[in-house]
Amino acid sequence: LRDNARGSAGKATSSPAENYLLARRRTLQVVVSALLTESGFESAEKAAVETLTEMLQSYITEIGRCAKAYCEHTARSVPTLSDTVVTLIEMGFNVDTLPIYAKRSQRMVITAPPVTNAPVTPKALSAGQKRTHPAHIPSHFPEFPDPHTYIKTPTFREPVSDYQVVREKAATQRRDVERALTRFIAKTGETQSLFKDDITTFPLIAARPSTIPYLSALLPSELELQALEETDSSEQDDQTDGENTAGNAITDDPGADKENSMLPPSGVVPSTKASEDNVIDNPYLRPVKKPKVRRKK
Amino acid sequence: IVQKLSTLRGSIGYVELTIFPTVVNLNRIKLNSKQCRIYRVRVNDLEAPFLYNDPTLEVCHHESKQRNLNYFSSAYTAAVSAVDPDAGHGELVIKVPSELWKQGDDLKVLKVYIEFSLDQPKGGLHFVVPDVEGSMAERGAHVFGSCDEKMKIFSCHRFWFPCVDSYSELCTWKLEFTVDASMVAVSCGDLVETIYTHDMRKKTFHYVLPIPTAAPNISLAVGPFEILVDPYMHEVTHFCLPQLLPLLKHSMSFLHEIFEFYEEILTCRYPYSCFKTVFVDEAYVQVSSYASMSIFRADEWVLKGISGYIYGLYLKKTFGVNEYRHWIKEELDKIVEYELKMGGVLLHPTFSGGKEKDNPTPHLHFSIKHPHTLSWEYYKMFQCKAHLVMRLIENRISMEFMLQVFNKLLSLASTASSQKYQSHMWSQMLLSTHAFLKSISNVSGKDIGPLIKQWVDQSGVVKFFGSFAFNRKRNVLELEIRQDYTSSGTQKYVGPIKVTVQELDGSFNHMLQIEENSLKHDIPCHSKSRRNKKKKIPLMNGEEVDMDLSAMDADSPLLWIRIDPDMSILRKVEFEQADFMWQYQLRYERDVVAQEEAISALEKFPTPASRLALTDILEQEQCFYKVRMQACFCLAKIANAMVSTWQGPPAMKSLFTRMFCCKSCPNIVKTNNFINFQSYFLQKTMPVAMALLRDVQNLCPKDVLNFILDLIKYNDNRKNKFSDNYYRADLIKALTNSLTPAISINNEVRTVDNLNADVRLILEEITRFLNMEKLLPSFRNTITVSCLRAIRQLQKNGHIPSDPSLFKSYAQYGHFVDVRIAALEALVDYTRVERSSGELQWLLSMVQNDPVHYVRHKILGLLCKNPPFTKTTDSALCNEALVDQLWKFMNSGASHDWRLRCDAVNLYYMLFGLTRPSCLPLPELGLVLNLKEKKAVLNPTIKPELGVGAVMDTPFNTMEDEDIDMETVHDSQAFIHHHLNLLERPSTPGKHPHTHTHTHTHTHTLHSRPENSSYSVQCSFIYMASNHNNSHLNQALGNSGKEKLPFNRKKPAKPASGRGTHLPQLVGGEGD
Repeated sequence: LRDNARGSAGKATSSPAENYLLARRRTLQVVVSALLTESGFESAEKAAVETLTEMLQSYITEIGRCAKAYCEHTARSVPTLSDTVVTLIEMGFNVDTLPIYAKRSQRMVITAPPVTNAPVTPKALSAGQKRTHPAHIPSHFPEFPDPHTYIKTPTFREPVSDYQVVREKAATQRRDVERALTRFIAKTGETQSLFKDDITTFPLIAARPSTIPYLSALLPSELELQALEETDSSEQDDQTDGENTAGNAITDDPGADKENSMLPPSGVVPSTKASEDNVIDNPYLRPVKKPKVRRKK
Repeated sequence: IVQKLSTLRGSIGYVELTIFPTVVNLNRIKLNSKQCRIYRVRVNDLEAPFLYNDPTLEVCHHESKQRNLNYFSSAYTAAVSAVDPDAGHGELVIKVPSELWKQGDDLKVLKVYIEFSLDQPKGGLHFVVPDVEGSMAERGAHVFGSCDEKMKIFSCHRFWFPCVDSYSELCTWKLEFTVDASMVAVSCGDLVETIYTHDMRKKTFHYVLPIPTAAPNISLAVGPFEILVDPYMHEVTHFCLPQLLPLLKHSMSFLHEIFEFYEEILTCRYPYSCFKTVFVDEAYVQVSSYASMSIFRADEWVLKGISGYIYGLYLKKTFGVNEYRHWIKEELDKIVEYELKMGGVLLHPTFSGGKEKDNPTPHLHFSIKHPHTLSWEYYKMFQCKAHLVMRLIENRISMEFMLQVFNKLLSLASTASSQKYQSHMWSQMLLSTHAFLKSISNVSGKDIGPLIKQWVDQSGVVKFFGSFAFNRKRNVLELEIRQDYTSSGTQKYVGPIKVTVQELDGSFNHMLQIEENSLKHDIPCHSKSRRNKKKKIPLMNGEEVDMDLSAMDADSPLLWIRIDPDMSILRKVEFEQADFMWQYQLRYERDVVAQEEAISALEKFPTPASRLALTDILEQEQCFYKVRMQACFCLAKIANAMVSTWQGPPAMKSLFTRMFCCKSCPNIVKTNNFINFQSYFLQKTMPVAMALLRDVQNLCPKDVLNFILDLIKYNDNRKNKFSDNYYRADLIKALTNSLTPAISINNEVRTVDNLNADVRLILEEITRFLNMEKLLPSFRNTITVSCLRAIRQLQKNGHIPSDPSLFKSYAQYGHFVDVRIAALEALVDYTRVERSSGELQWLLSMVQNDPVHYVRHKILGLLCKNPPFTKTTDSALCNEALVDQLWKFMNSGASHDWRLRCDAVNLYYMLFGLTRPSCLPLPELGLVLNLKEKKAVLNPTIKPELGVGAVMDTPFNTMEDEDIDMETVHDSQAFIHHHLNLLERPSTPGKHPHTHTHTHTHTHTLHSRPENSSYSVQCSFIYMASNHNNSHLNQALGNSGKEKLPFNRKKPAKPASGRGTHLPQLVGGEGD
């Protein structure tokens, strides 16, 4: 790992991009030193200079980033002066003081940084032929990106739609989930066993009496209710596997009509009745009377 | 009645009775009351002395070593008779103050006021208070009158308020209940108003019941109920426990239709102005009704018969004729099986004077004189027989007349009830056999006397054996019908019988006369035996069908014969006809009863032709689904009998695949869709039947097991509108059915390692199902129930170690009741197989201590059905301690619950029989004295089995004859001597010089009750006194200053008659 680090460090010195950045940094350091001298410092620790440089760099970077954002908001690509001004205001800088500060007498002049070539960003790997602009798009607009970035390229395999495999998969998956879940619960809680010598092979979650046992036994679980809603909305009859409706829904049976008529009338009360509900006079719905105040004799 | 209920399992209140004397000399009033502490009684504002004695608290007072069920049953019957309100008796005797005698003689109104309290009642009122945090309302605490139909007839209301606990005493009611403000008190009658108490923490519910109603029809339920007013009938209100409202709405959505049906069929309006249904937890029985049909009564069989009969009519209308006929056959089979096994069921017993030879049912180990000495099973059969007899009457007089009779009775009753304050008119509201028969003869002009005599006044069913021969020369069917009327539970039938013969040319009915000595009946045939193959064959219903007649006997035109096809006799028919005839009957007879009979008969003919007939029925969608279900099981039996010659895949497998599996992949079942109920039931039943298949090694074929495992694996209910819990439970049942005994070498210990591979797969499924149930419980926990049964079966077959601990944990209070019962069933089975006295004790202690009455009752029922040993087998479990334990429980332990006591009597009978249990040492005495008949008889313990009541069946009517002295301290010794003088010396004097008849009296009179504060002292004494044993008694007698009675424990004192055994144990105080 150390070799690696050293290797990369050695490489950095030769890289033009690194050189460019180092030159900039050096200039910033000079600026910081100049400002310190201006403020009356004679010497400074290296670490302090470094920190101040870092802060300055962050500040300038933020101004740049922010100014760019402002310009892009107004659908331009190059920041203008006003973008910069707004940025400075936004960052809490009093812009009015800037001209005075710029024209101060004790200002030190710093030599321009040496001209170094800005690093060339390596060209992205291009794939396929780029599209040329159609006639209605002016040529100064940016070029189309590589086709793979916007063209749908099917890369997945055909999903398994074989009925048998789907059922097999669903069944196995459910069984695995159930087994894992019950085993987990069994392992983390109290268990009972059918074998005295082996309590792990067939662990049974211990039976625990509940205070109101009829609730869980009679009321459907939330999961079931949810499933029921789903079935209701997705119309039981439109089963996708297609196999289902053939044999199960036998209707030519003479008894079938009778049976069907026995289905609950969807549990809803006829609307005419419902409207009368407001005037039901049932003794159990009447308000409880206040006790009569006994008059003292 | 005014009652204040507290959630601390108790109540206090008072009852005010208005009595219109109808006789002069009314100086004593007898009422029914149990468990209540009576504080004071006033008659017309005058303090009245009262006396409380409950002979049923302890049935046999002697520390008897007899342990003889005959003896117990007669003593118990006598004890019950002694407080029978219909005979004018009661536990509470109130003396009318002498100042009021004059008023009574003028037949003026007497007002009786009784203050009482109830603390931690064991019976009558049932309190359910879940042990969780929160207020009583949040916990769903509730209380209700727990009483079943049977017990209601006579008894259990006296458990929670003093009353005349009889159906024949009608009166109007005003009821007030004060309960916590978060609760609702539901009772009979109209709720007039609800008022807060002055502290605003409680509410008082005021009810008025203006229609004369008997006390047993009054009930009460208090709880934090959710209220649902029926959307179709606003006068109907439903109540349920918190959170169950959605279920309530669903359950009650049909009620209005049922109401309409009843009102239409009876052409009579429901007599009460409102109707309430209350759903509670831990109920005594599944349904009990109060103040509804109460205008009926008097003779129990008429009441039960009519309600069962109307239920049948409703069934017919709603579910169709097939369902109805199937039900009638089922009920008929049930009653026939019971009577042939246990002896006859008598609907209308007549008791003439209590002489021993008059006991109408000597074959029973209990008396049928009082409803609460009846065995539970017997009572259920009684109801079953009653409605079947009603149907016979309908057959005789037509349904139209039958409904007219009901209407007439109802209108008489409602006219009577509207006449206020004319109590003598109210007797019209009671229904006796006599009035019922009179009404029938008035309406129909028919005499049904013989029918009543045969089925109502006489017990037993008819057992026919039929066979036939065809006489080709005469073209006559020679039918022979024999009867067995000598076995127990049978009776002789003389009269008409219908025989239906299906011939080639059609179906013909013949009415034959069954007479004393004629067995043979010649029936001329209509068809010639020639065969015209083109011709269609007309059936009974007019339908004409093509049949393949190649299976027939070429010489005979007979296709099939049916004896009594309409079930108009309570009978069992064993009829012999050839296998092809049964097959024709199954395929072509349209009556479901005939089809079911044919299926049962075909079990004896395992042939390819039977197989084909059954398979065809299974596939036929027009066929009634219950017939198809029955065919599944028959097919499995036939396949097993034909195992060596069976061709093709296992029975039903290809059929199931064709009907319920995917076409493209036949090993995978379709995703569930239960919209068609007929195919749902078939889908559910077929795997259960298939699992009963066995191969030549007598194992379940591998194919079948894998098939069932696949059904479980691929079961997918996600798109189904209905829950699949019953289906899954049946798949587990199928796994259970596939189990066969493990091959065990030297009784090795069962471990996981030596588990059979198939069993391992089964066990894995069961483990997963049972565990999943903890996370996603199924409706009524059906899956757990099935799993518990499967585990017991695995244990029993030696696949896994036999161990009761799992079942014990599921049997605990706090599991859903179905689960508990399943676990208890397994435990009872374990107890029998392993002869475990530890588990037997565990079960018996649950019988005594479980909070749920139903569970207690059920345990004893299960023990009777699957007894750990019987009177004919030897077992280490059968010992003196067990005899003592059960005896004590019957004698005094179950005094708060009639049903439980009868259950215990049943179990005792099952285990030890009628006579002295064989495990007890022989008694020393050979003779005992019979006080009543003034003679010495052989000690019943050494006597062979005798019917109940043979030793003693005399009710304690002597109480009526003598005045009870309530004013002075009772001189018990004088009383005993008085009775001893009645006794003639035994005819063999000197042989047992120490023979004494032991009677004891125990009477305390408490004079003057100074302060209210003494109530509690006095009342606790009631209970002490009633639970005493003999040493206590002797002490008490000794304390009265007289010489101590010699008490010979070894000596089974004569089963006391007269008042000796049941003298009052406490006399209440007389107020100043």
